[in-house]
Amino acid sequence: MMSKIPLTTLSENEEAIVVEVWGGRGLVRRLSEMGFTHGTKVKMLHSSCPGPVLVGIRGSRIALGRGVAMKIIVNPEADS
Amino acid sequence: MTIRVAVIGNPNVGKSLIFNNLTGGRAHVGNWPGKTVEKKEGKCRHKGVEMQIIDLPGTYSLTANSIDELIARQYIVNEKPDVVIDIVDASNLERNLYLTTQIMELEANMVIALNKCDIADQLNYEIDVKGLSELLRVPVIPTVATTREGMTELKDAVLGAVKGKPTERLVKISYGKQLDRLILRIEKALQKDEELCMKYPTRWLAIKLLEGDKEVLGIINESSSKDEVTDQLLEAVG
Repeated sequence: MMSKIPLTTLSENEEAIVVEVWGGRGLVRRLSEMGFTHGTKVKMLHSSCPGPVLVGIRGSRIALGRGVAMKIIVNPEADS
Repeated sequence: MTIRVAVIGNPNVGKSLIFNNLTGGRAHVGNWPGKTVEKKEGKCRHKGVEMQIIDLPGTYSLTANSIDELIARQYIVNEKPDVVIDIVDASNLERNLYLTTQIMELEANMVIALNKCDIADQLNYEIDVKGLSELLRVPVIPTVATTREGMTELKDAVLGAVKGKPTERLVKISYGKQLDRLILRIEKALQKDEELCMKYPTRWLAIKLLEGDKEVLGIINESSSKDEVTDQLLEAVG
């Protein structure tokens, strides 16, 4: 079974694959422009609740607000 | 004759470094994105031709949603630079080429600088530069901004692009049969306004209208073809 969890639930240095983005058209678009597309590997670099998260994706580090990161759904098991 | 050259690309691909290499300028370069929020200008001479170089803010896209993207877009649309250098991170092609497609839709006279080739090499990426160039019908120049590799070739390509006819190498990006048909219908309605067609690429306007782009909707509001375009759009939305 494939697990689907919000990006924010990853612990630091944990990696996962982006499954989908739960958001409106604007957010989905913005995030896909930055590289958050289906099947892309992300790594949680820094996360301290409350506050923004820092993730690594496609060779860049991107800081996201926690609310936005909650809407990015990832699968930590498909990490291969 | 002075030719105007705009430099554009995703954040943190080395735009400012290439800008400095070209102009001998000292724009602040830092290894973090978003260094360039305003546009910067500089000059350079190559083979007797004066080039005015404009460094645009780094963007992932060219929507009307944020000020930096709008600055970059309005510059390309309104000022119509002779050549646009699109700086693409070779170690991160997929995401970078999205912006490239946006610039293609603006029908800009583009030259691609495939930067960070050294990093792509380290990652063992093999990029088919010739294939990429043929596919996009745009000159693609491999560069390493940090060591100034490819700068002369880049300037040569810019001069070559000025002489060439960009209309002959226009590539239309298909959105699938259904949408393409719709885009074409909206384009036809737009073409009733000749002044508008002189100023903007109609296919780009049509696509942005379907996306609900606020700035472009505003432009159409002032146009003489407003009613026809609105009819087509309403029909499209159903």
